[in-house]
Amino acid sequence: MTGPQPVILGEMPSLAKLYVNAAATAARRRVLGTHAGTALPECSHEVRGVKAEVTTLTAYQHLIGETASDVLPAGFLHALAFPLAMSVMNRDDFPLPLPGMIHLGNSVLQYAPLRFTEALDLRARVEKLRGHRAGTVFDVVAEVRAAGQDTLRWRGVSTYLSKGVFLPGIDKPTVPTVPSAFSAPDPTALWQLGVDTGRAYAAVSGDFNPIHLSVLTAKALGLRRSVAHGMYLASRALADVGAVKGDSFSWDVAFEAPVFLPAHVALDISTVQDNDGGWRRSDYVAWNARSGRKHFSGSVAAL
Amino acid sequence: MSVNGESASGPQESAPAAAPAAAPQLRNAVVVGGNRIPFARTGGAYTRSSNQDMLGAALEGLIARFGLQDERIGEVAAGAVLKHSRDFNLTREVVLGSALAAETPAYDLQQACATGLEAVLGLANKIKLGQIDSAIAGGVDSASDAPIAVSEGLRGVLLDLNRARTIPQRLRILSRLRPRDLAPDAPNTGEPRTGLSMGEHQALTTAQWKITREAQDELAFNSHRNLAAAYDAGFFDDLITPYRGLGKDANLRADTSIEKLATLKPVFGRNLGAQATMTAGNSTPLTDGASTVLLASEEWADAHGLPKLATVLDGEAAAVDFVHGKDGLLMAPAFAVPRLLARNGLTLADIDFFEIHEAFAGTVLSTLAAWEDEEFGRNRLGLAGAFGSIDRSRLNVNGSSLAAGHPFAATGGRIVASLAKMLHAKGPVGGRPARGLISVCAAGGQGVVAVLEAR
Repeated sequence: MTGPQPVILGEMPSLAKLYVNAAATAARRRVLGTHAGTALPECSHEVRGVKAEVTTLTAYQHLIGETASDVLPAGFLHALAFPLAMSVMNRDDFPLPLPGMIHLGNSVLQYAPLRFTEALDLRARVEKLRGHRAGTVFDVVAEVRAAGQDTLRWRGVSTYLSKGVFLPGIDKPTVPTVPSAFSAPDPTALWQLGVDTGRAYAAVSGDFNPIHLSVLTAKALGLRRSVAHGMYLASRALADVGAVKGDSFSWDVAFEAPVFLPAHVALDISTVQDNDGGWRRSDYVAWNARSGRKHFSGSVAAL
Repeated sequence: MSVNGESASGPQESAPAAAPAAAPQLRNAVVVGGNRIPFARTGGAYTRSSNQDMLGAALEGLIARFGLQDERIGEVAAGAVLKHSRDFNLTREVVLGSALAAETPAYDLQQACATGLEAVLGLANKIKLGQIDSAIAGGVDSASDAPIAVSEGLRGVLLDLNRARTIPQRLRILSRLRPRDLAPDAPNTGEPRTGLSMGEHQALTTAQWKITREAQDELAFNSHRNLAAAYDAGFFDDLITPYRGLGKDANLRADTSIEKLATLKPVFGRNLGAQATMTAGNSTPLTDGASTVLLASEEWADAHGLPKLATVLDGEAAAVDFVHGKDGLLMAPAFAVPRLLARNGLTLADIDFFEIHEAFAGTVLSTLAAWEDEEFGRNRLGLAGAFGSIDRSRLNVNGSSLAAGHPFAATGGRIVASLAKMLHAKGPVGGRPARGLISVCAAGGQGVVAVLEAR
């Protein structure tokens, strides 16, 4: 790997502190008019020997509807690595403000299963700063290996949009992407999401971002109501695909309209088979059951 | 498909309509193998795990062991004794969450502690009849994640509220609520008709059959010693998959001794004075766990290249009139075994392994005492004398519930998988296949027993 030496953190950073720090940094930069340049930091952050907590794992599996095996679900690994990813975005040399950042999509490669009994090495970095019609986009790359081993077992790429932030020297795409017309198919599942959905996922993922927690905290940050975590929704779709995906698979999701809580979400999962009848992939799409507006779509495919 | 006997020679149309129907030839149902998760003590490793989680984990290990991914199994039957009402389709939900083909049908059953063995017998019968070619029997129980119901008072109010149409109606219904209605209703091990716990019932039986404290402690000690030795010998390597960080039955005390067991105070039948002999050491603790057993026709096992460990020869259920003390609550197997062996032309001497479920050490010893009792044999079993004695060196040779623990519905599957493996290893005995007897007592004065034969 090129670039500077990774920063090895002694323990998993606290998300709560990171959120507070991010808000303070954003405010300071706004008041002072300073910014941290126009390039992403190159160094990665690492935490070694992390162990998943079994009580949290079980609660996560129950909430998401995953079979409660000893294998860490792909979405659980995302949540596990999330504070580390946030710590990179919290660096002083990270050029974009964290508050108001929008999660556009996620792409996970689960190469081999990881069990909760294994100690894990986690690594995160940011890359690919680029323009977007509505702001600036970049990727957070998180990687998980069994402790002390080189073999990559899980890799997640999260794409974020810093809305309304245009950095000098980074061009907007000239052709705006036209949202494709969506006509809802017949759903294979209906989710009734209560107002407590965000709090429930925060409890198992550790992501207590105020926009997910309550109407009041969401309003304080400029939203009309609280919204469901994107990764909660995508993880439920992944769980719905089921055991057919096997031990190694890819899992993509693209988020469109946020899911304001409470919500009725309709979901369709369609299976694509290969020539000999084996499972190749499951495509999913979710929409507002009342308005028909598309919330997110994605795919789980055999590796 | 093959056709039996004479009718095979002629075309079907010309078969005489009035020909007497030949008795259908039953085929064999074999035990291919089993898988369970280690049993945990209540409040231990599986505290947060639901029945669905644990049965799913045991099934997933079975699927992995025998390569059953995407396989459509003839039928899966399992159950739990302590079951949430939301788990009405527990087994089917577990199948849907597993790597088995989604086209695998499943049903739940429940016969208290005999659930697991009854699941094996029912599915084996379907295989013998040719209705299915493969089956998975299972059982699971959690005393940690037990269902708690609302009180009858609150339940009545909630149901009436649901039916009410107007606000005044709702207020009137709500006004019926009393503080005591908010106390939850937790399950207990008491018999509904007697109010006595299972331990208190057994204490009466233990005293009736004059089973000594020393004999019970010795049986408990042997259970721990045998189970520990079985682990040391690697016996469970292909019978158990670790779950939630637990690799061995948590209740196992490899270092226990008769002396240590003798120091424990009686917990059941304390009003019996000197006859109070049942302690936490010679009674089974509340446990969490799950087990599964793969059954098949011989053809299915051969076609899939899977082992045939043992044949499910026959099974028998019995029940006793325990309510007013005619027989002890857990004494039904004392009646079921003589009937089962007689039907198959067998005696206790024809059995090479006895797997008598240790609900309490006193249960096993009371059953053996009844079989050795002349009067019981004559008056209750209708025999010429005592039913007989067993060779104690053949009893629970790899440990049983006192050491392993007893997640109610999971015990049958634990025993069937272990016994099938033991029988297969033993092979023929004096020109006949090795035989094993399973006896499981159950709440409600019931018992289910079975005979397996080595392959």
